[in-house]
Amino acid sequence: MATIINPQAKPRPPATPIDLLNNDTARLYTHIHPMLVLSLYAYKFRSIVEDPVPALTSTLIPLSILQIVYVAICLPPTGGSGSAAAQLEKRKPGEKKKPAPGKLESGVNGKIIPAFLSLVLSVLAATPLLTATLVLFGAPVTTHHPHTFLCAAHISLLATLPLVYVHGVDGETWREIVALLLPIDEVYGGMIGTVFGAWLGAVPIPLDWDREWQKWPVTIVTGAYIGYAVGKLVGGTLLKGRKIMFE
Amino acid sequence: MAPQTLLLTLANLLIPAAILVFATGFFPYKPFMPGLAEYEELGWGERMGWKEGSPPKAPFDRLVFMVVDALRSDFVFGEESGMKFVQSLIRDGSALPFTAHATSPTITMPRVKAITTGSIPSFLDVILNFAESDTTSTLATQDTWLAQLKAKQNGKLVMHGDDTWLKLFPDFFERADGTSSFFVSDFTEVDNNVTRHVPGELLENDWNAWIMHYLGLDHIGHKAGPRSPNMIPKQIEMDEIVRTIYTAIENEDHLENTLFILCGDHGMNDGGNHGGSAPGETSPALVFMSPKLKKITDFTDRESPTKPKSGEFEYYRMVEQSDIAPTLAGLLGFPVPRNNLGVFIEEFLSFWDEGSDRIQLLLRNAKQMKRIVEATYPSLDFSNEGRDITEECSSPKVLHWTSDGQALACKWQGVVQIMSTFATIHPTLRFMRAAQETMSSTASNYDIPRLVLGTSLALLSVILAYFTLPSLRPIMPQGLFFAGTLLLYSINMFASSYVEEEHNFWYWATSAWFFYLFVSESRKEWYSRFISHPAIVLGIIHRVIRRWNQTGQKFAGADDIVHSPLLRGSNSIIIWSLIGATYMDISLRLSRHVARSISSFDEERSKDLDDFESTDANRFMGMLAVLPLGATAFVFKLAFTARDAPELTKGINEGILEWVEGLSLVGGARMVFAGLALSAGWVALAEWRRARRRKTGEGNGDFAVALFDLISLFLVTQTKAQNIPLYLLFRLQFFFLSVLDLSPTAITTTTLLLTQTTFFALGNSNAISSIDLSNSYNGVSDYNILAVGFLVFISNWAGPIYFTCAGVLLLGAHGRIQRHIDTAELDQRDWVAKEREHLERLVTQERALKERRKGGSGAWRAHVGLLTLWTGVSLTSVMAACTLLRTHLFIWTVFSPKFLYAVAWGVAWHFGIVVGVGGALWGVGKW
Ligand SMILES: [Zn+2]
Repeated sequence: MATIINPQAKPRPPATPIDLLNNDTARLYTHIHPMLVLSLYAYKFRSIVEDPVPALTSTLIPLSILQIVYVAICLPPTGGSGSAAAQLEKRKPGEKKKPAPGKLESGVNGKIIPAFLSLVLSVLAATPLLTATLVLFGAPVTTHHPHTFLCAAHISLLATLPLVYVHGVDGETWREIVALLLPIDEVYGGMIGTVFGAWLGAVPIPLDWDREWQKWPVTIVTGAYIGYAVGKLVGGTLLKGRKIMFE
Repeated sequence: MAPQTLLLTLANLLIPAAILVFATGFFPYKPFMPGLAEYEELGWGERMGWKEGSPPKAPFDRLVFMVVDALRSDFVFGEESGMKFVQSLIRDGSALPFTAHATSPTITMPRVKAITTGSIPSFLDVILNFAESDTTSTLATQDTWLAQLKAKQNGKLVMHGDDTWLKLFPDFFERADGTSSFFVSDFTEVDNNVTRHVPGELLENDWNAWIMHYLGLDHIGHKAGPRSPNMIPKQIEMDEIVRTIYTAIENEDHLENTLFILCGDHGMNDGGNHGGSAPGETSPALVFMSPKLKKITDFTDRESPTKPKSGEFEYYRMVEQSDIAPTLAGLLGFPVPRNNLGVFIEEFLSFWDEGSDRIQLLLRNAKQMKRIVEATYPSLDFSNEGRDITEECSSPKVLHWTSDGQALACKWQGVVQIMSTFATIHPTLRFMRAAQETMSSTASNYDIPRLVLGTSLALLSVILAYFTLPSLRPIMPQGLFFAGTLLLYSINMFASSYVEEEHNFWYWATSAWFFYLFVSESRKEWYSRFISHPAIVLGIIHRVIRRWNQTGQKFAGADDIVHSPLLRGSNSIIIWSLIGATYMDISLRLSRHVARSISSFDEERSKDLDDFESTDANRFMGMLAVLPLGATAFVFKLAFTARDAPELTKGINEGILEWVEGLSLVGGARMVFAGLALSAGWVALAEWRRARRRKTGEGNGDFAVALFDLISLFLVTQTKAQNIPLYLLFRLQFFFLSVLDLSPTAITTTTLLLTQTTFFALGNSNAISSIDLSNSYNGVSDYNILAVGFLVFISNWAGPIYFTCAGVLLLGAHGRIQRHIDTAELDQRDWVAKEREHLERLVTQERALKERRKGGSGAWRAHVGLLTLWTGVSLTSVMAACTLLRTHLFIWTVFSPKFLYAVAWGVAWHFGIVVGVGGALWGVGKW
C-alpha cells in the first residue's frame, strides 16, 4: 500500500480501503452484481433510445433494488462492522475504536435500513448536485430538464449510493472523496469510473452518424454504466489500496 | 545560446518550412495559358467543308449579364418564388433555365473568376484573393469573356454593382458604378445604386456587354436567412428589373440581338451563409433570356414553377458554372477563353442548322481544353493523327489502372477517329466532359512526395520541440492532461465531424480541466462553500462563454445567448449596458496605468523611493487622460453597430443614434488606434524612466500589464458588438486563474485550452463561411491588403490573442502587489506560528514567481516549448489527415479549410502572437 500523505496534520486515522464482507456470498455476488447491472441496462437500452424519459424513470427502480441488494450483501455499512477484524489489525495501538453501530444492526435489518437511507440520500442530495454538475459540463439549460435530471439520478445511484452506505455522511470523508484522497477500493473505483465514463460518454455526440442513440442523454448514461462496471472491477482488484497521487 | 534554445529555434523555423512544402504539394501549380485566345487552325477542313478562321455565325452581338448575389435555384424556379415574370418567360419558351453548379469555395470572388474565365478556382485562390491587390494577379491579364468582348470591334463594357468586378477588372469598363458589400444590414441602398442606371443604359447603344451585380438578396440571407420576410419582396423587385430589361429587348431595335442572362454567383445554406459546399450553397440559378430563344426551346422542359429534379435545389438540367464562358463564346462569336474548362451547353447547338457548324463549335471548345490537358500530361499523345489505340485503351483493366490522363488521351483518340470517318458530336462532348471532370478534381494533381515531406518536417519540429522540454519525470497530472489533449486532438483531425465540431472538443476538455483544478486545489485547501471555489467559478463562466455563440455544422442555428430575445430589439439596452461596462472596466484599468505613469515624473518622490504609488491627484489626471479614448472607442462601436447591425441598437435612444450615424467611421477607428498607440508610447516612456532610476529592488512588471490592457481595448474595438460582453467574462476568468496559483505547466495548459475555446466561443469554426469580415476595414479607407489582412486576423483571433497575453501575465505574475515581507522580523511567538507559516509560504511563492519572471527558471522557454509542441502536433495531424484522406469526399469542404485554419494558427498566431507579442510582453515585464 502506498504511503498516506494527509496534507492537514489532523489527528485522524488514515483511511483504509473498504474490504468486502468476509463471506463467500459477498465474494461471489460482488462479481455477479456488475453483470446484472449491465444486463439490466442492455435490456432497457432499446426503450431508452426510443423514449428516454419514461424508460430511464422505470429503470431507476430495478437499479435501486440491485444496488441495495449489492451493498447489503457485499459491503460493510458505515462505521464498518463487517471488516472490523481487518480494521482492527491495521489500527494503531491506543487509538479509540469508532462508536460501534449498535448490536441490533447486525441482522438483515441492520443492513437494509442503512441501504435504504443511502438510497434516499443519494436521490435527494446527490442527484440535484450531479444535475448541476452535468449542466456545468454542458448539459442543455433551457430544454431536456427531465433528461438531465434522470441522467444525474442514474449516475447518483451507481456512484454515490454505495459510497454513502460505506462512508456515511461525514463531511471530512466526503472532502477526501472529492479531493481523490481516499485509497482506491471497489466502491471508490466504481464512483470514479462512473464519473469518468459519463464524461467520456459525451464523445460520440458530435459525430455525423445520425443515429438515434446519439441523442441526449443516452451516451452519457451508457458511459456511466460501463465506467461503473470497469471502475468497480479495477478498483476492487488491480488498484485496490493504491492512492491517487497528484504531486 | 543554450542548446535547448537552439533546438527550440530550429523547431520553430521548421514550422513555416513544413507549411510551405506541404501547401505547394496540396495546392499544386495548375498549367496556366497566358494571352488572349484566337481562332486557330482546326483541321479536317476539307472533310467538313469549313474555312479556317471563319467560325459559325453568332446569333447575338450584345450581352446583358445580371448577377444577383446568392440567387439560389429555388428563388427563381421554385413554387414559392417571387419571380413570376421569369417563370412566365420559361413557360413561353423565351427563357432557358439551368441550375449552375458552383464549386467550393462558394464566395463571390472565385465564383466571378469561374464565370468569366471558365476555369475552376481552387482553395488557393481564396488566399490569393486577399493578395489580389496588385495588378499582376487580377483578371486584367487573363483571358476572360470580358477581355474577348472588349477586344472586339467597338467593344465597350459597362458595369454596375458589386465592386468585386472593378477589383478583378481594373480599367476595363467604359462606365462603372461600384457598390461595396460593407454593411450587410443594407438591403435597399446597394440595389437602388444599380437600378438607377437601368433606364439610361437601356437607351445607350455603345456597349456590347453590360454587367450588373445586385447584393441586396445576399445581405438579406446573411442577416435573416432564406426564409426572411424580406426575401420574397426582394425577389419581386429583381423580377421587375428583369421585366424592364426584357421588355426593352423585345421592343427596341438596337437591343434586338441582345442575350440577357440572369444568374446567381452562388447560393446560400439554411442559415443564409455560404462559402462551403452544402447543396444550397452550390446551386445558383442560371437563366438565358431572349425572344430569339424560341427557336431552340421547342423540345426543352418548359414547366414552371416546378419541383427540383433531384435533391432540394437541382432544377432543370445541372450544368457547371464554368460552362457559361464557352457558351457565351459560341453565342456571341468569340474564341473560347484559353483557361476554360467549361463545356458548351448543348441545348444551344440548335441555333445552327448546319451539322458542320455544330461540330465546329464543339471541336473548337474541345481543342482549347485539350491544350490544358496536354500541358498537364506532357508525356501523353494528344496529336491529331489517328493511331492504333487498341493496346493502350481497349482493355477496361488498363483504363482503370492507368492515370486519368491516359483515359483522356484515349477519349481524344476517339474524337480524332470519328472526325476522320463520319463526324458526330458525341465523342467530342464525351472528351470535354471527361476533361472537365479530371481537371477539376485535383485528386490526380497532388504532389505526394511534397505532402509527405511537409508532414515529415512538421513531425520533425514536434520531435525537436519535445527535446527542449524540461524533464518529464515525475509524471504530473497536468503534463498528462496536456499530452492527452494533444493526442485526442490528433485523432480528431482524421474525422470530418470532429473537424466540423471541433469547438465541442475544446469545451469538453476545458470543463474537465477546471474540474481537475478544483479537485487538485481541494487536496491542498478545502473551501467549505465550494460554489465560490475559483475553479468552480471558472467552470461556471466557461459554461456561459460556450453558449454565447452557437457554432459548427451539426447544430448550426440552434439557440444561443447572442440570438436570445433578451439581448435583441428593445432589449438591446441590456447588451449595451454590458458593452458599456466592458469599456468602463478597461478604461478604469488604463487610467490606473496612466496615473502611475504621471507619478513617475514626480521628481520629489522618486528621489528616495524606488517604487511608489500614484497620488489621488495623479489618479484624477489619469482618469481625465483616458476618458476621451474610452469614450471614443465606445461611440465608434455604437456608430458602427448602428449601421452594421441595426437590430442591436433598436432599444437605444433615437437622438443618440441619429447623432452617431453622422460620425465618420474611418476617422473614429483611426482616433481609437492613434489613442492606443499614443498611450502605449507614453506609458513606455514613464516605465522606462522608472526602471532606469530604480536604485534597489525590481520592478513589478507593470508595463506588461499596461500593454495587456491596451491590447484588450484594441481587441474589443475589433470585435462585433454582441461579443464584447464576453471580455468581461474573460477578465473574470483571468482574475480567478490568478487566484489559483498554478504551476507553469498548468498555466501553459490553461493558455492552450482557453485560446482554443475563445476562438470558437466568439463564433468562429473551421468553415470558411464563418470568417467575420465586418471589422476588417476599421480605419482603412481604401483597399490596403496588409492592413485588411491584419485586421481580419485580429478580429477573428481576438479571443486567442487575449488569452495568449493573459497566459504570459499569469506565468510571470506581473503586476501583483509585492508584500516585501522580511521573514527575520516576524514574530516568534507561538500564537502567530500559523500566520507565520502562511506568510513564509507567501514569501517563498513570491520569490519563486519573481525568479520565474526574471527568467531564472527557464519558465518562458518551457512555455514557448510546449506551445511549439502543440502547434507542431496540430499541423502534423492536419497534414497527415489531408494526405491520407486526399481522396475523401470531404477533402475540399472540411479538410482543406481546416488546413488553411491550421496555417493561420501556426503562422499568425504562433509566430505573431505567442512568440512575437508574448515575447515582447515577457521582455518588458522584466523592467
Ligand atoms: Zn454573401
